[in-house]
Amino acid sequence: MKLLPLILKNVFRKKARAILTIGSIILPLLVICLMGTFLRLLDRPDPAETRGMFRIVTRHKVGLASPLPMSYAEKIRQLDGAFAVTKFNWFGGKYIDNSARNFFARFAVEPETLVQVFDDATITQGSATDWFNDRAGSLVGEDLMKKFGWRIGDQIVLIGDIYPVTIQLTIRAVYQLPDGDSDALFFNREYLEEALPSFQGKVGTIWTKCRDGAAATRLSDEIDQMFENSPYPTKTETEKAFQMGFVSMLGNVKLLITSLGTIVVFVILLIAANTMALSARERIREIALLRTLGFSRVTILMLTLGESLMLALFGGILGLGLFVVGFRPLKASLINTPLSGFATAMTLFPEVLLLGLVITIFVGLFSGLVPAIQASMRPITEGLRHIG
Amino acid sequence: MTNPLIIVENIVKKYHRGAEELTVLNSLNFTVYEGEFVALMGPSGSGKTTLLNLIAGIDRPNSGYIFVGKDEISALSEDKLAEWRSRHIGFIFQTYNLIPVLTAFENVELPLLLTPLGKSERRKHVEIALSIVGLADRMSHYPRQLSGGQEQRVAIARAIVTDPTLLMADEPTGDLDAKSAEEVLILLERLNSEFKKTIIIVTHDPKAAARASRLVRLEKGILKEDIPTESLDSARFAEAASVFVEARPK
Ligand SMILES: Nc1ncnc2c1ncn2[C@@H]1O[C@H](COP(=O)(O)OP(=O)(O)OP(=O)(O)O)[C@@H](O)[C@H]1O
Ligand SMILES: [Mg+2]
Repeated sequence: MKLLPLILKNVFRKKARAILTIGSIILPLLVICLMGTFLRLLDRPDPAETRGMFRIVTRHKVGLASPLPMSYAEKIRQLDGAFAVTKFNWFGGKYIDNSARNFFARFAVEPETLVQVFDDATITQGSATDWFNDRAGSLVGEDLMKKFGWRIGDQIVLIGDIYPVTIQLTIRAVYQLPDGDSDALFFNREYLEEALPSFQGKVGTIWTKCRDGAAATRLSDEIDQMFENSPYPTKTETEKAFQMGFVSMLGNVKLLITSLGTIVVFVILLIAANTMALSARERIREIALLRTLGFSRVTILMLTLGESLMLALFGGILGLGLFVVGFRPLKASLINTPLSGFATAMTLFPEVLLLGLVITIFVGLFSGLVPAIQASMRPITEGLRHIG
Repeated sequence: MTNPLIIVENIVKKYHRGAEELTVLNSLNFTVYEGEFVALMGPSGSGKTTLLNLIAGIDRPNSGYIFVGKDEISALSEDKLAEWRSRHIGFIFQTYNLIPVLTAFENVELPLLLTPLGKSERRKHVEIALSIVGLADRMSHYPRQLSGGQEQRVAIARAIVTDPTLLMADEPTGDLDAKSAEEVLILLERLNSEFKKTIIIVTHDPKAAARASRLVRLEKGILKEDIPTESLDSARFAEAASVFVEARPK
């Protein structure tokens, strides 16, 4: 399109204004992407409903940073309706360095019970037995294998921070979950117990696979009641509630987030529309000139819409780019907060990026619509007489 | 004289200002022949710009007919008219109307963007147009880097770059100092004599009118006089012209 250079020059005619407008698209768009990720996770099929995976998670009432005594796992196992129980410890530490690129979830677990509780996962390479038999072995998510280009038998060195110990692991098996990311690394807690005796007897979260939905509901209350007056009170919730963190407690979160998101979209729309209205008004004479030269109404319409679309796309693409680049650092920084459940589940959903793009295009077209129609319909002689 | 190029027949043009109706042109008839250089004079508010706009196809009469060449432009649809303008009209304004963010080259190139010409052909046309107006060395200058006279010459290059049938100029020297005005007038004269362009120029300046081959006077919407300048000796012409000139609006 021969008019593209003119459109581009028009966008940046008032540089400060263009940059401010683009900025005021970038930031709200980041928020929208985050909200979209939240909504997408809320929409993610509940393993309890889709696959009969009635899992509940027990943690210290105070927070994830406070461990529970290991004996709790045994007590929970004895309750009626609990099929299998396994223990998780967030290892943290660093792989190579502390960069976001090299960040992934690492847990010290009990291998045999882990595969019982998560029996919806499949082992795609190596075998569970290989992992059980090697105390320094590890189970790695398919997505993580792909990201780092790892192979079965590769050595992974993790340098601890919460636990001051360096551990060296061999990849023995690869898992894949039926939905969501398979991007965590699991290793045998016995390895950590040997290397670090102070670790013994402590557990971060206890995961229980229940017989059915009723059992899951009943057990959640039963477990918390059982430990209510102990030195380590607990909080138990379903797997999905755990992933959504405190957000799920806020009643109709979905409606709330959707309405907030809609408001944000309209704010962007108003800002962009204001910029377009200003620039169209400044250019009344110019548009009359172009029409005198023979530019048709449709061409003028496209010139103005092209300008608003371009303006929005600059903001939109930068915003989405920033979201993609900032995604892993954000995930990493949330992992040790009350939002850790959300952070582990957080995924860069293509649908969210698509939504961002659709919103950008919507803002681009609608912000320019009224000025574009006005500009193309104004009589030429009136435009030429315009002063300003 | 040769064939008629413009025939304006019984044109009526009214404007509405609230409830008030203002008849600017009342049953006006006017003919321009191929190759003429017509100066249109008359007091402020007499309807000169209105007439020019009607002939250029950027405004429409309330009634009457306007023919330019074979086309009855008063009957063309909005889109057809836009296309017609791009092929047949070169318009020069008092205030140049250059686009400030485009270079001289890009400003002149604008009308060519509506043609099927490729990039290199467009470049050739722009270079020729700019060299005719004597600004081949100012192609990459922006309007703010040019003098008023140079800006107007860029605007003239833009008007001639598509080789239009008609050149229309509405007080093209109105904003210029005497020397720049002279240059612009010489240029228009050359475009008429060398390039055989038919030109209509609206002006308040008798010196500008003196360069035309024909003088037309519009008063209160009526075309009052139509004096072929050749039939006058220069002294009488200057006298005649000064009668037409009204004090420019303050
Ligand atoms: N769009 C419009 N709406 C209302 N009135 C108009 C419009 N355009 C022109 N007029 C009126 O029509 C009359 C003729 O205007 P026009 O611009 O044709 O005069 P002119 O001869 O070119 O004057 P000048 O020498 O000052 O340029 C004036 O009274 C003007 O106020
Ligand atoms: Mg006028």
